[in-house]
Amino acid sequence: MQIGEIVETGSVGFVAQGRELNRPPELGSLVKVACPGYGSTEEDRRVYGVVSFGTTTGLDPGRRAVRRSSEEVYDAAIYREHPQLKQVLRTEFNVVLVGWAASGSIRHHLPPQPPPLHYSVRTCEPQEVRDFSERLFYLRLLLTASDQLPSEQLLAAHLRQVYQARGRDRAWLERAAREVAGLLKQDVERLLVVLQGIDPGREG
Amino acid sequence: MPLQLEVLSHGMERLAAQASDVARQQLLEEARERLGQIDGDALRARLRTRDPRFPWLTAVPTNDTLGAAYSVPLPSPPFSVVATDGSNIPPDRHSPVRFYVLNIGRATLVYGAPSDARLESTTYLACEEEELYLNPGEENIPIEGARLGIKMAVAELEALPEAARKVHPPALGLLDGSLILWGLQGEERSVQAAFLGDYLSALDKLRQADVLLASYISYPGGQDVANSLRVSLCQDHPSERELCQFLGTVRDREIFSGLLEAGQRSDIFDSTSAILDRYEEHRIQFFYLNNGDEIVRLEAPQWVMGDGEKRDLVQGLVLDQCRRSGGYPSYPPALQEAHEQAVISTGERRLVEEMVAQALADRGITYFRSAKESSKRRRGV
Repeated sequence: MQIGEIVETGSVGFVAQGRELNRPPELGSLVKVACPGYGSTEEDRRVYGVVSFGTTTGLDPGRRAVRRSSEEVYDAAIYREHPQLKQVLRTEFNVVLVGWAASGSIRHHLPPQPPPLHYSVRTCEPQEVRDFSERLFYLRLLLTASDQLPSEQLLAAHLRQVYQARGRDRAWLERAAREVAGLLKQDVERLLVVLQGIDPGREG
Repeated sequence: MPLQLEVLSHGMERLAAQASDVARQQLLEEARERLGQIDGDALRARLRTRDPRFPWLTAVPTNDTLGAAYSVPLPSPPFSVVATDGSNIPPDRHSPVRFYVLNIGRATLVYGAPSDARLESTTYLACEEEELYLNPGEENIPIEGARLGIKMAVAELEALPEAARKVHPPALGLLDGSLILWGLQGEERSVQAAFLGDYLSALDKLRQADVLLASYISYPGGQDVANSLRVSLCQDHPSERELCQFLGTVRDREIFSGLLEAGQRSDIFDSTSAILDRYEEHRIQFFYLNNGDEIVRLEAPQWVMGDGEKRDLVQGLVLDQCRRSGGYPSYPPALQEAHEQAVISTGERRLVEEMVAQALADRGITYFRSAKESSKRRRGV
């Protein structure tokens, strides 16, 4: 499903404008961009990334949102009372690149080129999430991502997303937890944040 | 710094003292009281029969009262508001080629049925003789300055009917500024005819499409009603010297700010602007309205103002727009969005200039600006 369009792009990530106002893709979810091949690899490729931030602001940076609610009109009703808001606001989300795929093989490192500006961002089907997350090497890219969010929070959000997409795969979650423990063995405080964040508790 | 701020600073105190003058407030109160006592029919007869006309604009009452206030209930959706606004890049005398750009912004807001919005702009580039001059080859009257302003006013009006026809009725067609093309008054008859032809034909279309056309003037500077009060009081009562002098300086909005409660409008007046004699059945009338934050002036053709139902809808829909305003003082969001669509930023203006230079360069022409203009940009020391 097409969920956004790239409006700013770079080697480690991109910013996309979402199709739906106030509904960026969920934090930590895996998304993809289908890109034409060029340079050293001629085939078309899919670039994978993890949603690392979401925001809704005025389309024009010079126009800040102002309070619109009253006793009678609030929340969703504000958008009915002010139909122009849907045209002058925008929802954007940031994506951290974690890998790419071409000729059927998945690579857990940065793609040779950033995904092109204005290309579509799509959600990944559960099977694609399963295939991409089978190996866990890419978690290193998430941990070093320097975006607005603390990387351990982003990592925890991503692991929760994948756990759900894999049909609450506890075996995978335990494997991922061990991988993270290895990566953060020098930083117990951050490790605790991730482990606390991915604990499924009694929900299953 | 060549501007002497200390001189201005002392002046500010005098300026503020004038505005808060108690005597002025008392005179204002008296003016309001007198406005309520005038016989509208007698004043109308007097203003209409005067030949030549009074040298200043006056407001001709359409009613037997002048100081009354009227309220309406706010309309319930569904309804629509279509607003347009314009911006331009005028012909530049320092540029080697002559052209101008018009950008007309339009906001179409539908409330209820279901709510929807469309924000868009249309850009025109005028660079051919017949676009740049009126009566090209003969009189060669350049479209610039006030004439470009009128050209834009015509384009703003022409952008309304097409959008208004497609939306859920009732549809308010809203413009910013005056519907009275007073700038045409000093122009040649042929210039007047060229612009008025298009303007009146757009008004015809709006009337046929049953659009409630109105224009909105925030912080209006008009003195038409104050002048009418002068006509009524000062000629027969020489003893009223102080009040009469005061009436020469007061703005209508100051008078009505003490007469109209939030949501109320004034009586309806005819404007005596000479250009309106050529508006045929589209003569413009106006009233003042307290939108809750300020007194604004609303103008509309007589086919809106003369129809009680339409006039009340205009008042209600404009008040509804102000209620939906996202800021203080309130201002119709449709006009705000139309303006946002119309505005040409400094960066865009520079881009247009670069595009012109590029287009000329492609044909081997060097873009050479006047030395004076270049020196202003360089500002070297």
